[in-house]
Amino acid sequence: MTIFTDIKAILLGLWTTWKHMLRRPVTIQYPEEKRQPSPRYRARIVLTRDPDGGERCVACYLCSAACPVDCISMQSGERENGRRFAVWFRINFSRCIFCGLCAEACPTLAIQMTPDYEICKRDIMDLLYEKEDLLIDGCGKDESYNFYQHAGIGVAQRRGEGAEEKAPVDVRGLVP
Amino acid sequence: MPKLIIDDITVEVAEGVTVLEAAQSVDIPIPHFCWHPALGKAGACRVCAVKLLDGPIKGIQMSCMLPAQDGMVVSTVDPEAVAMRQQVIEWLMINHPHDCPVCDEGGQCQLQDYTIACGHGLRRYDGKKRTHLNQDLGPNIEHEMNRCIQCYRCARFYQEFAGGTDFGVMGSASRVYFGRFEDGELQSPFSGNLVDICPTGVFTDKTARFRARYWDFDMAPSICPECSLGCNTTPVARYRELLKISARHNDAVNGWFICDRGRFADKKVNSFDRPRVPLVNGSSSGWGDAVDAVAKKAAEFAPGSIAVVASSRLANEGAALLPDLARALSGAKLCFFSNEVICRASITAASQITPHMAASLDDVASADCIVIYECDLRQEAPMMLLAVRQAWRKGAPVFLVGKGAPLEQAAAVSVEAVDLDIIVEAPIGIFDRPVIIFSTMRSSAAEIKNLMAAEAKFAPLFDGPNGMGMAKLAAANSTISLESAVKSGLIKGIITIECVIADELRGEIPIIAALDWQMNSSVKNAGVFLPTTAWVEMNGTFVNNEGRAQQFKKVMAPGIPVSATLESGHPPRIHSLDVPGGEPKPAWEVITEIMKRL
Ligand code: SF4
Ligand code: SF4
Ligand code: SF4
Ligand code: SF4
Repeated sequence: MTIFTDIKAILLGLWTTWKHMLRRPVTIQYPEEKRQPSPRYRARIVLTRDPDGGERCVACYLCSAACPVDCISMQSGERENGRRFAVWFRINFSRCIFCGLCAEACPTLAIQMTPDYEICKRDIMDLLYEKEDLLIDGCGKDESYNFYQHAGIGVAQRRGEGAEEKAPVDVRGLVP
Repeated sequence: MPKLIIDDITVEVAEGVTVLEAAQSVDIPIPHFCWHPALGKAGACRVCAVKLLDGPIKGIQMSCMLPAQDGMVVSTVDPEAVAMRQQVIEWLMINHPHDCPVCDEGGQCQLQDYTIACGHGLRRYDGKKRTHLNQDLGPNIEHEMNRCIQCYRCARFYQEFAGGTDFGVMGSASRVYFGRFEDGELQSPFSGNLVDICPTGVFTDKTARFRARYWDFDMAPSICPECSLGCNTTPVARYRELLKISARHNDAVNGWFICDRGRFADKKVNSFDRPRVPLVNGSSSGWGDAVDAVAKKAAEFAPGSIAVVASSRLANEGAALLPDLARALSGAKLCFFSNEVICRASITAASQITPHMAASLDDVASADCIVIYECDLRQEAPMMLLAVRQAWRKGAPVFLVGKGAPLEQAAAVSVEAVDLDIIVEAPIGIFDRPVIIFSTMRSSAAEIKNLMAAEAKFAPLFDGPNGMGMAKLAAANSTISLESAVKSGLIKGIITIECVIADELRGEIPIIAALDWQMNSSVKNAGVFLPTTAWVEMNGTFVNNEGRAQQFKKVMAPGIPVSATLESGHPPRIHSLDVPGGEPKPAWEVITEIMKRL
């Protein structure tokens, strides 16, 4: 009889509704109440420093090449001590899709995603982050990596004194 | 003609061609470092391994060392050959630093490409790496020896191809070092080619150090504007700034290389004092008003009293319009050359030479006798000197005729030349393919006529990138040199088109208008100034010294470099469709605008 199956369906549906009325709601009262995303959450991007406090970013342009929406731009330059660095570095967060490809491409662990998802501005130009807005004081998620120590060229230490390096060759030596 | 099979494709090649080249001819790429089309083989890198499955030779072989033979069956994909290449790359990478992010070669690096192509992705060796001390090689070239993979290309180019003596290879075993005996600027006028020829980042262009990556470059095929040879180049720009210039391959002209003058020339295009807006009496104005002002001023002059003066910097597109402009200015005098002697010499050379008589750089390199008549190629046409060296390496004698042809030019490329006083002493008649090189800036029209009576090919040199084009146009239209125009006393006003006029020559004659992209005395003294685009900012054509018309393409749009517009450290945060400093237009466009208002 269809009338009985209809009543059964209504009662089952109502039962589900009543059941949830008595449970604790899952809705969070944002912004009064905030949730802590996991550390690997992909939101606002930062530029980190190496353990010695030097800027990690060497302006290699890999993140800007990897970015599918082309929202990173920069100009590389050379410091007096030979370090390559970003003269300016800009991320357009109004365009960023927080895919994390930039952080994945970065060979120096400079660019990292943070769980700070609250990026909301009244003026869209405020979403254009410059280097000074991006650069933080810490190492971010990796406490130890220092690119120049492993780079194998004499920047930030004398030639041949980096990790995995032998002392420079004596070209004029005669020993085989 | 040997016929062989490479990866199931039948290939027929000329005698003596290597298996590597045979494979390239049917688009089968084989990784290689030491082999280079201009330098040939060395067998140093061992990365071009292929397997010969059948035929006169069998087993793993180096394809660059092996001349193709009839009946060979070659496989580039045989597992043994693939494994060999992979392992060779792994050895080459053992000492290579981990510094691609801070290496300017990154993105256009043969070592990167072939490492990936050969399938070596993960480093297994965790021992320590050999390191070297670098040298200061002068203001143009950066040295990072840790990156070297010992392919010997640099030393072979520098010493054998270019005849340089101050750079080479030292040390033994894994200590092999490529550099100078001590720090110092490289002496060869072709040293910049080390940047292009090194397959990794040992030599990089210091003038564009740490500026941009290959995938962001604005590039287009272009022509060198520094002398009349018209070497093919690829200028590189980024953020409205010309960064560097590299060689572009053209077998008939410059081959694979260019000279240091062309490569490291002052980048005047970026210059801060470059005039970029139209000026009327020194104050900036819109295009419309400025062109009106030219037309108004020109109307004040009597017919025939204006001289339109151009130089061989001007591309053919603009130059070809000048006869019409002169007519529209009611019979203005047309001057394609300032100096009377150079004017006559250029016109004589350009009108006497036929395509059959003109020697390209390739013809010079394959000549069996070279005569350099009264000119110094180091100043006037450096790449010609490199071509002369190639001819000399194949046995051609080199004669330097006259006081204007100093022996030092031959020494610059380690060529042993014979110094002669007069041309008749050179035994041109006994050779099959002699080439006579002369300059329209040093020899008179009579001398050139005399020279060109010889049974030989000729390589005339002109005073700028479009010298031949201007001379041809000058011959085909009624033109005179500015010198004789001024002497006639008829000239009361001058319009200059990409041209500087010596103050002594001009005297009191006012410059009505100047079209140019560089700051110079003509621009400073002009009543009206109209900014034109430089060669990298437009499409155009130059006719080189042998009469070869070559197109150059627009590399970048005109505008003030972004690096000069920074506000508190970063580019301006405003939107605008107008490019700052984007006013310049190609000369032909400006000339057309002026003609429309006359
Ligand atoms: S997260 Fe994705 S979209 Fe955003 S900057 Fe990085 S690569 Fe670009
Ligand atoms: S990939 Fe990393 S090091 Fe390279 S430019 Fe981006 S942030 Fe800087
Ligand atoms: S410096 Fe460059 S070109 Fe010279 S041997 Fe080393 S890798 Fe080859
Ligand atoms: S030889 Fe002349 S055209 Fe060729 S690169 Fe040098 S300066 Fe430029």
